[in-house]
Order: sequence, then C-alpha cells, then structure tokens
Amino acid sequence: MMPSAAVTPESLVGVTGEPLIRLQGVSGGYNGKAVLHEVSLAVRRGELVGIVGQNGAGKSTLLKILLGLLTPMSGTMEMFGRRIRDAGDRAWMQKRIGYLAQIQEPPAIPVTVADTVLLGRWGRSFAGLRRPGAADREVVRRHLELTGIAELAKRDLRSLSGGQRQRAALARALAREPELLLMDEPTTYLDKHARNDLMRRILDIHSESGITMLLVTHVELPGREFDRVLHLDEGLLDRADRTDRTDRTASDEGGAP
Amino acid sequence: MSEIAAALSIPVIRHALIGMLVAGSTLSLLGVVIVSLHLTAIRFTLIHVGLLGAAAGLSLGFSSTAGAFTLVLLASVLMGISGRRMSISASSVTGLFMTGSLAGAFLLLSRTGVPAMEVFGVFAGNILLMTRVDLVLVAVLGVVVVAAFVLAFREIQLVLLDSELARSLGVPVDLVTSFLFVLLGAGVAAALRLVGALLVDAIILLPGIAALRFARGLASALVLSAFFGVLACGGGFFAALYFDLPIGASAAAVSTIILALSSAVSAIQKRG
Repeated sequence: MMPSAAVTPESLVGVTGEPLIRLQGVSGGYNGKAVLHEVSLAVRRGELVGIVGQNGAGKSTLLKILLGLLTPMSGTMEMFGRRIRDAGDRAWMQKRIGYLAQIQEPPAIPVTVADTVLLGRWGRSFAGLRRPGAADREVVRRHLELTGIAELAKRDLRSLSGGQRQRAALARALAREPELLLMDEPTTYLDKHARNDLMRRILDIHSESGITMLLVTHVELPGREFDRVLHLDEGLLDRADRTDRTDRTASDEGGAP
Repeated sequence: MSEIAAALSIPVIRHALIGMLVAGSTLSLLGVVIVSLHLTAIRFTLIHVGLLGAAAGLSLGFSSTAGAFTLVLLASVLMGISGRRMSISASSVTGLFMTGSLAGAFLLLSRTGVPAMEVFGVFAGNILLMTRVDLVLVAVLGVVVVAAFVLAFREIQLVLLDSELARSLGVPVDLVTSFLFVLLGAGVAAALRLVGALLVDAIILLPGIAALRFARGLASALVLSAFFGVLACGGGFFAALYFDLPIGASAAAVSTIILALSSAVSAIQKRG
C-alpha cells in the first residue's frame, strides 16, 4: 500500500474543480497519540466515496475530524472551500453536514419518528428560543416520504425495527438538507434485507439528489456503485481505487482518468 | 375537613404545603433526566454527599442543611467535570464520591465529637422546619428548572436522546450535561431539606419513571412528571394531615402507589 503522505489530494480526485473536502497531511488521534497518519483526501461536490478499513484503522477518527468533533494534530483541513481553524469554523461547517451513524440502541425516552427527524434540523433553522416552523415540518414530511417511512411518522422510535430506525436516522440526516452526508457503518448490525434496503436507498438518493456522500465501513462496498472506494489501513489512506463508474464519469466530463 | 382548614391557617403548615407543591411540580422534571441519562447511581451518590455536607456543616458550627446543600451542589459540578474530562465511567465516579463521602462523614464525626444522630436527621428531613427563605430558595430553583426546559428544550431533548448525534450537530453537549448535573444536585439538596435523604426519590425520581410509562415524547413526559409530582406531594401532604402521619413518608407512600398503578396500567395497555 502506498501511504497517502506522498499523495496530493488532487491526484486522489483526478478531476478539476473545488473539492468539498480537502485534507492535506492530516494526522489525528487521542491523548497525543496519532491514529490517523498524514492523510490527504479530496472529495469533490456530488461524489459518492467509500472508505473501507478494519476496526482500529482510523475510520472513526477520520469521521470525527470531518464532523468537527476532533481537532487535527497536524495538517490542513478545508471544508466547503473554507479553511477550518477554530471552533467558529467548525460550527459553520457542522451546519452543512448530515451525519448517519451506525444503528444506536433505542433511546431511554419516547420520541416520535417525525420528531426525531425534525431534530436533524437543529442549528440549521432552529435552536434555543428559535422554534421549528411550518417550513421545518414540511422538510420533515418530505424526507419521511423520501425514505419510505411516512406512515411511521407518529410511531414511537423505540417501537420500530432496526431497519426502520436506520431509515429514520437517514431521514434525519437528510432533513438537515446537508451539502455533505457523512456515514459511519450505517448498515452494521442490520439483517441482510434491511442492509440491502438501506444501501439501495442511499445509492438512489445520491443518484437523484447529487448530495456529496462519504461512507466509512469495515465491509467491502459495491464498488461499481461508488465513484471511489479508498482503503484505510492502520491510519494510512491508500491511493484511490478507481471504479468503472469513476472512469465513466471522468470520461464523460473529459476529466483525467 | 375543618381540622385540615385549621391546620392550613398556621403559616408553617402553609409554607410546607406550598414547598411540597412547588417541589412536586418542578423538581420531578429532573426524574426524566435521571432515567434518560442513567443517573440513578449518581443521584444516590449525591444523597451520600449530602450526609458528608451535613456532618461538615455541624462540625464547622453552622446548619446541617446549609452544609448538605453546598456540598451536594459542589459534588454535582465536580462529577460532571471529572466524568467528562478524565474519561471516568459513571460507576467509577459514583464509587469514588459515595465511598469517599461516607468515609469523610464518619471521620469528621469521630474527630469533632458531633453526635451522629444530628447528622442522620438529614435522612429524615423535616418540612415543618421550613423557613420563608427555604421556601423562596425552592421556588427559585423550581423556576430555574422549568426555565431550563423551556429555553433549551430541543438541546436537552437531543442530549437525552443521543449525545453523539447532538455533538455532531453542534449542540454544546458538555455544557448542557453539566448544567443538568448542577440542577440535579440542587434538586437533590432541596429534596433533602423537604423530605429527607431516604425519600428524595419520592419527589424526584418516581414521578419521572411513572410519566415515562405513558409519555409519547419529552414534552408529555415532563408534563406528566409534574402532574404525578404534584399528586404525590399534594396527596401525601393532605393524607399526612388527615391521618396524622409524617409528611415526607406520606408523600413517598403516595408516590410509590402512583408508580405501582402506572406500571400496572402500562402493562395492561401493552398486553391489550
């Protein structure tokens, strides 16, 4: 494997245009110990990128950095064309990101599916004394329909199956109307049917909406469906694994292969 | 009935009733927080810290209540910070504070010669000793608890539902959690004064558990919790006057009955 330290972000993307994510030589970790080593990564607007790595490879650390939950130990980070340096930049960035985590335990308190989806809009259109409005409810309704759970809107989230709960989580992430959707093992712990259903929905939504998506997982991804699938191993990001779809896209756009 | 009316004409009794109703309708909201964040062990720890505070208060020559209140508040702040910054688990924090508090209390008592029974008065509480200042303090705390839920409802809801999600959205999770810890500490300290350490749960925890059996969301859980809190405190108060019982124990009995009934009704609903 070739460590990413020697690779510029542009060479990973292979296309022109302003990347939505641009990491250059980013290291990150905990208590002074790096888990992620000098990662360089660029993701352009509209791409669907998968990152595959075993447990402990640094996937979650990378996602935490992209989510603004962990400050890089070194390197530079640009998101949506803006250099991310401090808490203010991270707060600005978080408004543009939707996050779908792996399935969580049902919460200890009741919440309707519609309400949990509404919460995805926190910080985007309401917070504190600024209450959700009719426009927010409309966005919720739209995304419940988009994820095929409109009929579950009034149900308690705790009464749903794992697959339904993940669809509600996907609707919540999308209800933020994000420019970038980050996903952390979204299909883990789901049964085969629910896993396939969720992945199909994610791929369809990407095709239809063009939202930039980055998905990290420990299982192999359907490479033909992704623009790129990268591999993360012991904190080092491998060179881009170009798929047929990327070649086709790049060729269609006249970009470099 | 005329006996109850006569009793209510006495200022001390009136203060006690108002104190119980204010506490029942506001501090009970914290029960929902305790259940949601799995803080049952923490609130038990805070009660033990109250014992140390009472011992310290008496040893230093001021009131056991002031000592308990101060130390419980301080401990709730420290527990919030230590659990977060030092990555210590809730059970470790609990063990540290609970054992340390009991050890400290007994060491203080043995060194200063304060009779242990005076400290253990904190366990029983005595609402009839409630002063006007106490009443104002409980009312102010009640207003702060309600205001917190009104002003930061969605932020608290996100933290209670999924703190990882809340963090990813930009919610100041540590700040919200620390504030809830402080409110919980203040609530426990106030309940210590009203009904004593052994019956704190009657006001704070049980109404919240009962409410969560029926609620469809956080808002309804809070409203139901307040309703059950008022029912327990008000019902307990009047039952105590009518049957000539201790007020704290009577409120705790009513609270227990409410929880038992709500559990039964909820179980029947689920089967149906």
